[in-house]
Amino acid sequence: MASRVSLKSKGKASGKALKGSEEEKSIGESFKEWSTWALKKAKVVTHYGFIPLVIIIGMNSEPKPHLAQLLSPV
Amino acid sequence: MAGVVPPGATMHKEDPKPTKEEKVDYFNLPCPIPYEEIHREAFMSLKPDLFEGLRFDLTRGLNPKFALSHSVYMGPTTIPSQSAETIKIPTAQYEFGANFMDPKLMLVGRVLTDGRLTARLKCDLIENLSLKANAQLTNEPHMSHGIAYFDYKGKDYRAQFQLGNGALFGANYIQSVTQNLSLGGEVFWAGQHRKSGIGYAARYNTDKMVATGQVASTGMVALSYVQKVSEKVSLASDFMYNYMSRDVTASVGYDYILRQCRLRGKIDSNGCTSAFLEERLQMGLNFILSAEIDHKKKDYKFGFGLTVGE
Repeated sequence: MASRVSLKSKGKASGKALKGSEEEKSIGESFKEWSTWALKKAKVVTHYGFIPLVIIIGMNSEPKPHLAQLLSPV
Repeated sequence: MAGVVPPGATMHKEDPKPTKEEKVDYFNLPCPIPYEEIHREAFMSLKPDLFEGLRFDLTRGLNPKFALSHSVYMGPTTIPSQSAETIKIPTAQYEFGANFMDPKLMLVGRVLTDGRLTARLKCDLIENLSLKANAQLTNEPHMSHGIAYFDYKGKDYRAQFQLGNGALFGANYIQSVTQNLSLGGEVFWAGQHRKSGIGYAARYNTDKMVATGQVASTGMVALSYVQKVSEKVSLASDFMYNYMSRDVTASVGYDYILRQCRLRGKIDSNGCTSAFLEERLQMGLNFILSAEIDHKKKDYKFGFGLTVGE
């Protein structure tokens, strides 16, 4: 994902050169960092939460199954 | 098929079968098969899910829409090795899955004991536009990937746009050209591997046969032909050639779909024969046998299993 984001911020790379200052991060860099962080968090959330999400959606669909049916192997 | 003419009777012409002589309406062609399913018949007949070892699948439906599945697999797994010998290590795994199927939304999730998650999502965003997504997530870093597909279905064409991690972009388009023929093309661009490619595909199908051809700039040429000999039997053949690596594989197979079982067998030009049998013992109880014999590499794989549930 990092390389995809780098394509988008290519246009802003020239803006980065112009800014010149080393203390403040440019919009391009901070956008790249923020989106990498967001994707990492999204990956963890999906990894742990996808199956519970499917189960919650399934248990709430009509006709509602009982919780016992979820756990018993019959 | 021909009427039996009693001997001695005067020969009279049979009534000609009503021929479909209506003019082809080129503005009213049927919608074509999606581009990725262009080899679907050949794929289903020639590439069944062969396995080695024991497989047990249990699917419990709690709802017409919601089902949980438990799957146990025990057997040797081949790991890729540099030498000509195949290296197999015995593994045993349990996989838990949850499926939710709705006409508008489909969610399928499977998780293994080592933490690998396979997730699939399909939903209809608006009419004619649907979103599909596949993801395989692992605990190891940099080994997870996900792809999203946006499909648009037009009157006699389909267009798809793909977006994946690692800067993967792809698009494909398929159009019905005549009643039986459809042509399509695709492009893809993989940023991480710095690869891009373009490909073309054609599919000709009638009620009795399907012939497809696909060429790609990655060097792959794939042709397939499936003939439906009768309601229960179909024969398929497949030819794959890579003009970059000079690899060629041809295979011929059969597919018997009978009332109580489905038997698929094939033989390959690499000296590999395989067969796959699914026998329906009772409603909801299927017995599976799988065999794959590779004479060239001297690799013999036999598997058996049971599938319980729909």
